[in-house]
Amino acid sequence: MVDVPAGPLPTRVADSALRVRARRGGELLLALLKNPTTVAGLVFIVLLLGMAVFAPLITEPNTPDAYQMPRDWGALAVPPGSPGHPLGTTNVGGDVLYGLVWGARTSLRLSVIVVSLTVFIGVTVGSIAGFKGGKVDEILMRIVDVFLSIPELIFALAIAAVLGPSFRNIILALAVVFWVKYARIMRAQIIHVKENEYVDAARVIGDSSWRIYFKDILPNSITPVVVQATLDMGNIVLVGATLSFIGLSEAGIAEWGVLVSEGQSGISAGRWWASTFPGMMVFLWALGFNLFGDGLRDVLDPKTETSR
Amino acid sequence: MNRTSQSSSWGLFLSVLVVLALVAAACSSDDPADTTVGTSAPTTTAGSGSTDTTAPPATTAAPDTGTEVNNPGVFVHGADDEPSTLDPAQVEPGEGGETVILQVYERLLEIGESGPEPVASLATEVPTVASGLISADGTVFTFPLREGVTFHDGTPFTADDVLFSWERAMTMDLPDGAAGVLSDTVDSMRVVDDFTFEVTLQEPNAAFLNAVVPAMVSSIVSQDAVEANGGVVAGEFNEFMSGNPVGTGAYKFVAWNRGEDLQFEVYDGYWGTPANLDLRIEIGASPDIRVLGLRAGDYDTIEADPSFIGDVQGAEGVTVDGEGLTVEPIHIGFNLKFDPADLPDNDRIPDGFLNDPRVRQAFNYVFDYNAFVNAALGGFGDFNPHYIPQGIFGYDPAAPVYDQQDLAKAEELFRAAGYWDEGFSISVVTEEANLFEVAALVFKDSIDDLNNPNMEITVAAVAEAVFDDAHASDPVPYAMWVKNADPFADPNAYLDSYALPDGEWGEIHDFRAGYADADRVQTLIDSARVELDPAARAVILSEIQQVLFDDPMWLIAAQEGVVSARRDWVQGYISNPLWPRPSIRFALLDKG
Amino acid sequence: MQIRDYILRRLMVLPVLIIGVSIIVFALTRVGGSPIGVYLQTGMTQEEVTELEERFHLDDPLPVQYAYWAGGVLTGELGWSGVAAAPVTDVFLPKLAATMELAVSAALVAVVLGIALGTFAGARRNRLPDHITRVFSISGAAMPLFWFAILLLIVFWVYLGWFPIGRSDPNIFARIDHPTNLYTIDSLLAGDFGAFKDAIWHLILPAATLGYGATAIIARMMRSSLVEELQEDYVDAARAKGLPERLVLRRHARRNALIPTVTVIGLSFGFLLQGSVVAEIIFRWPGLGRWMADSVLRGDQATIMAYVLFTSVLFLVVNLGVDVIYAYLDRRVVLGE
Repeated sequence: MVDVPAGPLPTRVADSALRVRARRGGELLLALLKNPTTVAGLVFIVLLLGMAVFAPLITEPNTPDAYQMPRDWGALAVPPGSPGHPLGTTNVGGDVLYGLVWGARTSLRLSVIVVSLTVFIGVTVGSIAGFKGGKVDEILMRIVDVFLSIPELIFALAIAAVLGPSFRNIILALAVVFWVKYARIMRAQIIHVKENEYVDAARVIGDSSWRIYFKDILPNSITPVVVQATLDMGNIVLVGATLSFIGLSEAGIAEWGVLVSEGQSGISAGRWWASTFPGMMVFLWALGFNLFGDGLRDVLDPKTETSR
Repeated sequence: MNRTSQSSSWGLFLSVLVVLALVAAACSSDDPADTTVGTSAPTTTAGSGSTDTTAPPATTAAPDTGTEVNNPGVFVHGADDEPSTLDPAQVEPGEGGETVILQVYERLLEIGESGPEPVASLATEVPTVASGLISADGTVFTFPLREGVTFHDGTPFTADDVLFSWERAMTMDLPDGAAGVLSDTVDSMRVVDDFTFEVTLQEPNAAFLNAVVPAMVSSIVSQDAVEANGGVVAGEFNEFMSGNPVGTGAYKFVAWNRGEDLQFEVYDGYWGTPANLDLRIEIGASPDIRVLGLRAGDYDTIEADPSFIGDVQGAEGVTVDGEGLTVEPIHIGFNLKFDPADLPDNDRIPDGFLNDPRVRQAFNYVFDYNAFVNAALGGFGDFNPHYIPQGIFGYDPAAPVYDQQDLAKAEELFRAAGYWDEGFSISVVTEEANLFEVAALVFKDSIDDLNNPNMEITVAAVAEAVFDDAHASDPVPYAMWVKNADPFADPNAYLDSYALPDGEWGEIHDFRAGYADADRVQTLIDSARVELDPAARAVILSEIQQVLFDDPMWLIAAQEGVVSARRDWVQGYISNPLWPRPSIRFALLDKG
Repeated sequence: MQIRDYILRRLMVLPVLIIGVSIIVFALTRVGGSPIGVYLQTGMTQEEVTELEERFHLDDPLPVQYAYWAGGVLTGELGWSGVAAAPVTDVFLPKLAATMELAVSAALVAVVLGIALGTFAGARRNRLPDHITRVFSISGAAMPLFWFAILLLIVFWVYLGWFPIGRSDPNIFARIDHPTNLYTIDSLLAGDFGAFKDAIWHLILPAATLGYGATAIIARMMRSSLVEELQEDYVDAARAKGLPERLVLRRHARRNALIPTVTVIGLSFGFLLQGSVVAEIIFRWPGLGRWMADSVLRGDQATIMAYVLFTSVLFLVVNLGVDVIYAYLDRRVVLGE
């Protein structure tokens, strides 16, 4: 029998908990930086995010809508290195460099919005399932299983097709498809942590469920969620670009998938630049987040199999 | 380190070996295009596509054929759109099905190989007043018919078939079809005897012989074939005829493999000069496929347009023509009869907006014609503001033209009409990935040039089938749309369809609610139609062009130039822009 | 015993999942416009339309509608495909055969190459070959298929001209009969080696493209599970004992590492299925994927719904099969969720 004081934990213990966290943080960073592929991923991410954030400085925003490709009707399908168009133009005179840079911005918007939505929904649903257990848990997890039964791209394709071609509908479709993994992760974490000792200790002390949740469960469960979110930042853009490529987005916007699709018709005539460059950007974006996320997972949770 | 990872190494080694083997095989392989000798057209069955033949077979990209031809015995054409129907009573003018109908069916008269004048076909001569085959008042036409003609199903051709075909189109009266072409002119028809057919018009019509009789909707179908397969039902399409044309033409239909190709064989029982080669039309090839296919010799001709003709110019073994203009102006339509509930959510159109002639004029001034004609069309085209295209009788080169972007004038007009501050947001629907989408984008950029943040155009680029649905609806579910006109041989055919208040588009888009003086337009066009004296007619048509310049019901982006691309080995190539695209009668061609 | 229970449990859950998927598909049909749009053909009379509305109980509450819709699906009433201008069921099989030919070829490539590569890398953990393989396998997973396919198209078709696109040369294709609708098999059955070569030649580029991503996934899994296996106690013990036959160790370790890899092979099947949509568009392959892509653009709901249903059921069945095999292979598997 341990004589446990009622009331908040003594500050000394709290301090050392913080110090543990800080030390862990430092170790984490070091471990990450040790792996060259992870570093490569980080570099890609930083570069691409930089491109997205500083887009208005790199290329003059188009008026009236910065996300519409600026079309130079006097310079249709010119090759890279042409005056005023360092990476060439598309068949309708769209500046490829502009498309790359503002496409990064579009991708950032897309991935941040979708990942935020999916994490929020998934974590909420998973938490409810994990906490409540029993029937609620069973039903919710069945629903999750059903969603996971439909291959992601095909599911997103069907939803976007039914809603109609537009950028906003692609966001919706992706959100509907991608939230489920977070529910699963969160629920598993909660069940795991529920049985853990310090939660029992906290409960004995008298912390309310909410407090336990936010102070103990959530921070300890966050790791796999962060890993998955990182990976998803990459894959959302990948799937989104595929949907745009197939034709579910709007014409003439600065989005990588749309650009690759529009650039296809020049290929046979040797006009490779209009689809090669944007496609490469999608690849680099997905690669960067995948490399980094992979490295993150290796360091944080080497045995966990978070899916791709 | 000896037998360490031997198994995994084996796996890797094997894989590499396989790859090398493939590479070696590729380098040393014979040209897979060496087919066996004398393959005739595939004898697959018509109807449901059980044999899943492929998309265009671009075997090699390197044109290494010497003086031989590819695909001997078959003429291969690379088309873009897939027809939606092969039935003359159902086909929408300008749609891919008309290409097929041109080859497989015939009409009483046809547009000849040169010029817009009709020539004899299933009728043995062109009726004239002098020969007595046109009545003195110009309303009764008698057609002597050709004897000894048989349909592809073996049944004989008689005047009954003509009556049946025309009545059928008018009875079915399908919304996508062109039955109006007949029903608006014909008053009554009569079978005089097996080989004489008589038509009485509602009123004298200068366009009858050159625009109504040779139209695809006036094709003669086999009565026996129709009656054995569903008959004629008012308001309904005939599924059999939609996919199985039975006509009298030089080509007999063999098969339609949806999404892949259409196959035809030479009709042995043809009354005229038989075709030289069987025919295969490959469907759905995007421009780059067509370009590569033509260069590789897998296609003998391709459907070409100015946006990519530059890619085949100068290619080895390829001939490109770029002279002259098509008679299918590219236009942007104004729908005055839209239902606000149908429009896309973002659209915001002030009341009476498109009804105001000043607004429509403003749009005509805003468009950057130079960008479209000289950049997008690569110079293969010209400016034209109204519905008598260059090359058609009555076109007046002295009439005023919209050929320059004039932003100041456009702004002035918008302000005068009171819409400058309020602005608008309109979606323009167009087929995707072709010249129409480009025109829509030029239009969008032109509006952006006004620098009015309240004015916005959104381009809704959709799949062709989706566009066709919207285009065929009444009312059209968009306020503006991009397409080209159908080719006609007679000025009134254009005016009746595209300018007449009570005409085809006049009713669908409610021109009466938009013209400043609708009655005047109506009277002028009506009088041009019945005026049989060419000189007097030309004067009326001139006046119409001035009126339509002041009160435009369309924004005509350009009159597209004729471009065609074919292999050098194609012989006997003749093209008339008045024939449905690609303006080729394949029966006239040969290769070698 | 445990395994049989496991299989039974999974089998019992399967119909529940399928029904769940069908509910989602049904919900999608209601979201997207007219509910009977799927069954409408142009030119139907008003009576036929009314008859359809009655047959599917469109004025009744949604659950009733669902029941009739699901009943229709089970009896083969999948609607009319505007893209194919035919009932969905008529056109489904030939297109399925085409896609299967492509997917299976890609899978063969992926399995052989992936396992070999993964083993190669896993045995040399954190050394250069491992890093290279890791980059390769992650790049494969991150690779946008549409971009990769276009690149291959540019290199191998436009510039080098080694491979054709499409499924066949129509002249050669028409020479033989098609009892199975599988071009490779049918050409062998017909004894037509020229046709067989034509089939293979058209298959190479799309299968390689499609297989690339799956190769990467399989290699990655093989590598990481091999690494894990090599850290197990029994490996250390065997090494400590000085067993010279490192090959034996490698064999054991590798065989154990293959087990989780089996699951990934099942997962990569889903990858292939999805990739086929894009691959078929770009390589002009006349299969289910391209049909689906056309349907998506042209609003052909019947095809879209049928495709989602079919691929989901297939996906579920394959995953179930893979899990069962996994259960047999690894007795140590904890049979909890």
